[in-house]
Amino acid sequence: MTATYAIAREEWRLWLRSKVAIIAFLIVSLIIAATSVLNAQRMSHERSERVHQQETAEETFLAQPDRHPHRMVHYGHYVFRTPPPLSIVDPGVDAVTGQSIFLEGHRQNTAMFADARASANLGSFEGITPAFVYQLLVPLLLIALGHGVFVREREAKTLAPLLAQGTSGHSLYFGKLLALAGLSVALLVPLLILVGVTTALGEAWAMGLSVALGYGIYLFIWCAIIVVVSAMSSTRGIALGLLVFVWLIWALIVPRLAVASASAAVSVPGKLETDFQMYADIRELGDGHNAADPAFAKLRANLLAQYDVESVEELPVNFRGIVAQTSEADLTSVMNEYADRRMGVEWSQSQHVTQYGWLSPVIAISAASRYLSGTDLVTHHRFLREAEAVRFDFVQGLNQSHIERLSYIDDINRNQGAEASRRARISSDNWKVLDEFEFTPAAADERVARTVSPALMLSVWLAALLALGAGLSARLKP
Amino acid sequence: MTALTRELWFLSKDRSAQVWLLIAFAAASFAVLFGLQEVSSQRDTIERLKAADTIEREVAIEEYQDWGSAAYYTFHLTYDAPSEFTFAALGQRDTAPWKHRIRMLALEGQIYETDAPNPDFALIGRFDYAFVVAILSPLFLILLLHDLRASEKANGRYELLDATDEGVWRIRAGLRLAAVSIVLLLPLWVAALLSGASGVQVFVASAAVLLHLTFWWAVIAWINAHGWTAPINLTTLFGVWLALAIVAPAGIKIAVDSAVAVPDGGDIVLTQRETVNDAWDLPVSATMDPFLERHPEWADYATMEGTFEWKWYYAFQQVGDQTVEPLSIAYRDGRMRRDGLSAMLSWLSPPAKIERVFQSLSQTDTSAAATYENRVRTFHAELRDYYYPLMFKDAPFTDEAVSTRPSFSN
Repeated sequence: MTATYAIAREEWRLWLRSKVAIIAFLIVSLIIAATSVLNAQRMSHERSERVHQQETAEETFLAQPDRHPHRMVHYGHYVFRTPPPLSIVDPGVDAVTGQSIFLEGHRQNTAMFADARASANLGSFEGITPAFVYQLLVPLLLIALGHGVFVREREAKTLAPLLAQGTSGHSLYFGKLLALAGLSVALLVPLLILVGVTTALGEAWAMGLSVALGYGIYLFIWCAIIVVVSAMSSTRGIALGLLVFVWLIWALIVPRLAVASASAAVSVPGKLETDFQMYADIRELGDGHNAADPAFAKLRANLLAQYDVESVEELPVNFRGIVAQTSEADLTSVMNEYADRRMGVEWSQSQHVTQYGWLSPVIAISAASRYLSGTDLVTHHRFLREAEAVRFDFVQGLNQSHIERLSYIDDINRNQGAEASRRARISSDNWKVLDEFEFTPAAADERVARTVSPALMLSVWLAALLALGAGLSARLKP
Repeated sequence: MTALTRELWFLSKDRSAQVWLLIAFAAASFAVLFGLQEVSSQRDTIERLKAADTIEREVAIEEYQDWGSAAYYTFHLTYDAPSEFTFAALGQRDTAPWKHRIRMLALEGQIYETDAPNPDFALIGRFDYAFVVAILSPLFLILLLHDLRASEKANGRYELLDATDEGVWRIRAGLRLAAVSIVLLLPLWVAALLSGASGVQVFVASAAVLLHLTFWWAVIAWINAHGWTAPINLTTLFGVWLALAIVAPAGIKIAVDSAVAVPDGGDIVLTQRETVNDAWDLPVSATMDPFLERHPEWADYATMEGTFEWKWYYAFQQVGDQTVEPLSIAYRDGRMRRDGLSAMLSWLSPPAKIERVFQSLSQTDTSAAATYENRVRTFHAELRDYYYPLMFKDAPFTDEAVSTRPSFSN
């Protein structure tokens, strides 16, 4: 144990004496610090902005004057997706998905105003976030500093005497690994600070720590492979070339190939396309604006029988409101069916991408990081579903007022002059059917459950590489 | 000539160089392949949408036999077909819309809807040719060239080689530069031929690739000239790559986004909605007066018989658009100003620059997205020009009149 520690300490001492190592370390630390601060600033600005917009939208809705209830159904409402606290570590899909949805009767709109559309376009890597830095850049620093841990000794011919003096291959291996692992832990400090900030913003501390732990395991994977490659290579050039090759494949090539593979393997017709089929289905249901639509004949007959009256005018409830409510319910179940199917296929596309985590730990950590942070596709879907629930509730609430608070006679005569139009209005007190909306990511245990698969990948990667390293070190050659 | 053949012979013996060239070739080939596939799938999608849209419009005509309802219930498909060169850079097509259905209602409430693909795709990014050229090709070149002098030095042949033939480094590097250029350009040329891209596009694209590679060759030569060891060369060059390909674009983006403010998109749709909805409760003149400012030709037809007429309904839809026009224009201008500034500042990052060049050749850049948006706006204006006379003059609903309704064409 002390031998292992002594070897690690020797490595640290060397790095501290190397100008290149210090400069590289400082540059990466600077990048981490700068992106952390900038991203934390940006996301907390976004958070307060969207919370504010949500409040304004609710106030405006409630402040609407007395109206015909169906007018409010079309007036509609806006909901905004508030980024979760951990988005300051990993904003995930926040920038590429719309942040707000307009909710109205009879329609499920798409989310609008993705940041990516309005901001400057600078090609492939235009945004650096702390997650990106830890996933792609920190491993490069580890490679730059660590590729020589073994091969340096081999080139300097100090490996043979070390082994001959009785230092075991194992303690050498674990010592070098400890040296790199220590470096990784030092590099994780800014992440831990960010995690602390998210806890203050209301995130469960266990979630933040899980994210940090995930990145810890991920960086250890890099440490493990760096030590293995360094132990096997005959020159520093070869070690560095091999490690850069691995980085290129893992970080740049496999993730994008995974996207190509997912889009070829799982086809997701766009919403526009499925909408055509959906509207054909919906036409069968009848137009809820038109109570005379033959589709509602049965509903009318049933109601007349139920209240034992001859005509809809005699009904104690507003037939037009009932038609609106019934057709909204039918319509919504069709729309939800299509939406669920679409989200289901999108999720399997994303899972297809994540499966490539078995080929590249970069995919595994980025998936884990988004899942845990609540900035993944599923969270966006959750936003769409919650928005739909809000939509359905307020529309049906308004339809209920339409049924109970507005007489059928006043309703059908609403276009007969100004006075008739005034009679066909109900009090703005009825607008209180609108629920307050505050988007929060899924509960911690749900996010953790999603992360099992990428976490398993990371663990297997680490275990396999450690086993490989331990096996190699037993037969270490000078 | 003998020096060249000797160097060719060396290259044919250099396993690691061949591996990198092979990877570069495979990357470029896969990239154009994926690009061609994506483009053909987008074309198919557009064809399917067009067919479905025609059917749907016929259904709507059957069902609604008055101009107001027909206009309300009829959606019109608009689309932005991929160009012959789109395979090389899918660009903004993952986040900006390239298909859209609109109707006669206020356009500002509809135009920002986006039928985007899986957001994970846009987040991770596409493996397109522009990515290979901008991000990967400098790395391939660095890996091929960083140890040219250093490895000979390590082998103890450097002094000898350097003394006997000064041109050897230039030939050796030039040969590898040429090899990388060929393995990157060949797939592009084949794909361009297959998809029918124009000679000018291919020429500009090839020139851009060569310029980009030459730039990196110069950077590598400069670093190599310091006479450091191969690992230090490689580390330094990766640092330069990191600075130019990743840190600079991110910095430019932050700078541009904060320098040019763009109104919040949400404000546009909110304001539009308020105007349109308030109109119901306002006197007719509150709608018709601003409407007639734009359309004085309907002044004689702007009176209303009952409390509801479709012409009034569509007039307040248009007034909704008119009210947010300044915001909407500021939003569009802001995006274009950001793009202009990015174009200028991207000279600081050759990888970002070449990616922008490719997106512009492929018509997948910000201005192509803006052009499409403008075409949708023009088409929407045509729809209004078509419907207004019919509604204001209370024209009979005839098949003949329906047959002249504009439809979007690419």
